[in-house]
Amino acid sequence: MIHAISGDSYFLQQIVETKFTGSVHSVFKHALNIQSGVDGEIFTLATQAMDNAPNTLIINLDTLANLHISQNDRVSVMNDQLLIEDKLQLATKTATRWQCQLPIFPSDSTSLKINVITVKQFIDLHGKSGGMKSSHSPISEFEAETSRMLKLRTNLLREELVSQRFDQFQKYAVDLVGLGPGLTPSGDDFLVGLFTVIHLENSPCSIYQQLCESVINMIKPLTNDISYTTLKKAAYGQVRESIYSLVHAILYGTEVDSIQALKKVLAIGSSSGTDIALGLISGLEANIKLGGKR
Amino acid sequence: MSIKVVIKRNTYFDSVSLMSLSTKANQIEGVEQAIIGMGTEMNKGVIRNVGLMTPEVEEATAGDLMIIVKTANADQTESAYLAVEELLTNKNTAQAKSDIKYATIDSAAQGIPDANFAVISVNGAFAVREARKALENDLHVMLFSDNVSVEDEVELKTFAHEKGLLMMGPDCGTAIIGNTGLCFANAVRKGNIGIVAASGTGSQEVSVRVHDFGGGITQLIGTGGRDLSKEVGGIMMLDGIKALDADEATKVIVLVSKPPEASVEKKVLAQIKECSKPVVVYFIGGNEEAVVAAGGQFAKTSKEAALKAVLLAGIDEAGINKRALNLPLIEEVRAKLSPEQKYIRGLFCGGTLCDESMYIAMEKLDNVYSNIQKNPDFLLKDINVSQEHTFIDFGDDDFTNGKPHPMIDPSSRIERFLQEAKDPSVGVIVMDFVLGFGSHEDPVGVMLPAMIEAKQLAEKEGRHLEIIGYVLGTDLDTPRLEDQVKKLIDAGVTHASSSTNAGLLAREIVLKGENHE
Repeated sequence: MIHAISGDSYFLQQIVETKFTGSVHSVFKHALNIQSGVDGEIFTLATQAMDNAPNTLIINLDTLANLHISQNDRVSVMNDQLLIEDKLQLATKTATRWQCQLPIFPSDSTSLKINVITVKQFIDLHGKSGGMKSSHSPISEFEAETSRMLKLRTNLLREELVSQRFDQFQKYAVDLVGLGPGLTPSGDDFLVGLFTVIHLENSPCSIYQQLCESVINMIKPLTNDISYTTLKKAAYGQVRESIYSLVHAILYGTEVDSIQALKKVLAIGSSSGTDIALGLISGLEANIKLGGKR
Repeated sequence: MSIKVVIKRNTYFDSVSLMSLSTKANQIEGVEQAIIGMGTEMNKGVIRNVGLMTPEVEEATAGDLMIIVKTANADQTESAYLAVEELLTNKNTAQAKSDIKYATIDSAAQGIPDANFAVISVNGAFAVREARKALENDLHVMLFSDNVSVEDEVELKTFAHEKGLLMMGPDCGTAIIGNTGLCFANAVRKGNIGIVAASGTGSQEVSVRVHDFGGGITQLIGTGGRDLSKEVGGIMMLDGIKALDADEATKVIVLVSKPPEASVEKKVLAQIKECSKPVVVYFIGGNEEAVVAAGGQFAKTSKEAALKAVLLAGIDEAGINKRALNLPLIEEVRAKLSPEQKYIRGLFCGGTLCDESMYIAMEKLDNVYSNIQKNPDFLLKDINVSQEHTFIDFGDDDFTNGKPHPMIDPSSRIERFLQEAKDPSVGVIVMDFVLGFGSHEDPVGVMLPAMIEAKQLAEKEGRHLEIIGYVLGTDLDTPRLEDQVKKLIDAGVTHASSSTNAGLLAREIVLKGENHE
């Protein structure tokens, strides 16, 4: 019997309380995306190698390939079970409910400062290049130019944050959306990390929360549906479990805790994990700076 | 310039696949630039900036996959695009194939009846069982795992020998089989030289030098580091020599190892006598007379081994750049060193590269210490503290216990490098940087800040610090050899063109007039 081990509360609620319908949007080895027939929102089924995430159910399989599910297959719900054509019948009743609850930004930032330095050094050494972290040997002019633009635009956004300016925040954030190689562009990943920090309770950067939400209203055509959903959730403080663990470790853990959590984030996608981590670090550095002013 | 653009509507590849495909596409012959990515407005902006915008690209949307191939002229465009398309197709096929997971070697052998080779990398406790199963299924084995007892190794190799199969390993980290690099290996030209090696980086170095001298490789058969011990008796090296002797494509055979145990060396040399093809023998610190008496070609260094092999393989000597030692540079550096700066510190990722430089130093210097010295008098008392001339193999178990190999994670070497660079008695620091499959994505880049910092510190203290760097790799490797070398040179590091030259340069610089060749 294929069943959901754990799942995002909102997704489980959709299955139980609504007549959820949709179609398969895209299929990978460890995840498949379903596009809701109602509002086009993306929901995900992921194998047990993946971590909990917004709009995602973790299922008791190692691979999805043997299911032979294809793009556009119909998705429906019957008796709390999610059905994809006659290829998958997924029981959801016993799934553990999960919801991202970001930690509170601490009043004492002593260990946070040490952890941020350690994490940055580890990313310098082990982070994946090709996105936010520029490669010393770019494979093409396209990669080199993308890195240049990412650096330029993230610097502008950082500057806006640490100067506590609001005028250009939306523009600089929007300019990053869709920029970069990969399924989730590097600019999007960076914003996911940054939005996470902005949504920490007591975060000195939380003054930008509403702007994050307004950015989401502008970017739907600028990136693909999968990345858009991830960004939209992050703009409301909902991120995957490994990102939560990293933030928590940096805020409240030791250097060892931080590196252990970072390794899991760096393993996301190709350069996505590195890009997300760098977004987090940018936000945390802005918080440290702004916190000091208070 | 000619550009071909194909837009695939609503097509999604995961990020890892997209990045890997882009890298491979940019390496296709004739391709000046290839872009495989999602058709977002921002990516289209980048494409505009690099001058590749076309009406088709303009129409792509965020959910579309864009494939853009730029070549120098129109004749090449279609074939280059087809090669990129083939990569995409292969990726899909490979994904489909890799989706089939086999729980056991038995089921894998049944599921893929054409397979004749198994690469095994599991915990040492299970490695013997899995290797035996593979051999029982008539598969040649490359066993990457270590922590296998010598008794088990002998049993596996004897069983393989009886079945006419290769049992490469345990602890076999390098092989090139059918032009495919396995575990740690470099991208080298296909040719007519076969290698049997009991040493990983030693065989990488010889294969890379062969490539540099214009030759190519048929097969590189690894034996595992313990094969030439008395207990194992060289079973795999003997079988490897026989296999290459029987291989029509192989015209010359090269043997690479640390010196074998005396009785095993006799067996190997006896096998050379039987061999119908010329055999070059590079046993570090080995005995020339015995090799020559057996009809072999003795090589004192890895560079000499490669050079002899390519000449025997028919490469025209006149066309070979032998990468002569830069003698004026030696004099120039000597003049910069103070009398106190007497010592070499060798910090290596590759064990055989460390060994080669150490043996070169030992030819003229008495006080050479290491964590891999055979002479117990010169074994470092504390591996974290250097003594006089010190050569460290960071790939040795002392440093890798519970940590990745320094070719993957060079962090332990960075720390030690900075420590050595502060020592005022140090004149020369020599290091290797290994490119190729399995290695760090930017081995020079990761050391660069430390090397610059060390140079600046020495300058502040009014002394010259000579850093010699050798990049083991070919022009076909990723990252690009040329870029890695440029980084070294730009940072003021002296680039050695081979492992041999790295050792010679270091030794000659600190000799300062004594025994100067």
